[in-house]
Amino acid sequence: MTTLEKLKEILCECKGEDIDITPETNFDELEFDSLDKVDIVMQIEEAYDISLGENLQLSTVGELIAKIDEAVANK
Amino acid sequence: MQTKLTRLLGIRYPVIQGGMAWIADASLASAVSNAGGLGIISAMNAGADFVREEIRKCRAMTDKPFGVNIMLLSPHVEEVAQMVAEEKVPVVTTGAGNPLRFVKLWKEAGTRILPVVASTALAKMVERAGVDAVIAEGGESGGHVGDLTTMALVPQVVDAVHIPVVAAGGIGDGRGVVAAFALGACGVQMGTRFLVAKECTVSDAYKKKVLAAKDISTMVTGRRLGHPVRAIKNSYMNAYAKLEADSNVPDEELEKFGVGSLRKAAKDGNAEEGCFLAGQIAGMVSREQTAAEIVSEVMEQAEAMMEGVKWDV
Repeated sequence: MTTLEKLKEILCECKGEDIDITPETNFDELEFDSLDKVDIVMQIEEAYDISLGENLQLSTVGELIAKIDEAVANK
Repeated sequence: MQTKLTRLLGIRYPVIQGGMAWIADASLASAVSNAGGLGIISAMNAGADFVREEIRKCRAMTDKPFGVNIMLLSPHVEEVAQMVAEEKVPVVTTGAGNPLRFVKLWKEAGTRILPVVASTALAKMVERAGVDAVIAEGGESGGHVGDLTTMALVPQVVDAVHIPVVAAGGIGDGRGVVAAFALGACGVQMGTRFLVAKECTVSDAYKKKVLAAKDISTMVTGRRLGHPVRAIKNSYMNAYAKLEADSNVPDEELEKFGVGSLRKAAKDGNAEEGCFLAGQIAGMVSREQTAAEIVSEVMEQAEAMMEGVKWDV
């Protein structure tokens, strides 16, 4: 499973419906609230056994994927 | 009564007073601490000098532990966080976000850290950062609220973390304390009940509104802007709800409409234009008492109900 696929799974689960995401999708469009965002970060961190850092800003899906891949590579 | 919370904080009763903005000052905090609970000073949006002054006033009025509630969205949060470490405040509770970046600073100062959380994910995240306990606050509470209720949130947080859990939201008497214990919490945080404490310096109009409130007297507005708030229904809240429902009203106008409304309620006692934050248990609060009377009444009722029952708290 690619990081994009895994992330899509987490985001769809959190949204409660299937949503289309691409690396260009901006988190603002997805309209997650602050608790959703905490949940998403926690799920990613637990799935990959990584830490995304304290000051993570969610901008685009592509940027988040890059951060996940970087954290996995540095494990 | 001893629980994990009283042992953690060095207090007599497992009762924390909510950090209510514009309301929780040195007078109320010291009174609650002297009563054996944990009094809290609200740092709200204030600067470090203002909060330091309240801390020192509180220290002059009590030798018991007390805390400061830090609102993480405050524009002065960095300087206030630093100042509470300098002042070696015994306890910090945090609201409106994730306090990760301050955990090391406060731990080095010997400060106990209890973030208010509204979901299990946030509870797990702050536990991992090394906080001492979490306050799981359900949407029955006054002020900023999450969607989950105390009944649903508390046991799920208890299952999600290994640190002590304090229940908040909808707790106003001994029955609520026992219910919190039954859900796995080892203490409670109460705000609304302390609003009418004699030592609470909030406006008389505010106290009157809480005393007159019944079960359905509160409502929630602000969902559209992503920060819902529970307060007592009045002309301000009704007008806000109308603006919020009107899609022709831009978010900026809505935001502007709310500015200053808390101060108008707490300090000016403006019954029409103020935002009187209160929880759903406002309907149970029927008389003004001293903080000591409130704490001992709540705990006596809880202890009487728990007599003969073995509790792991």
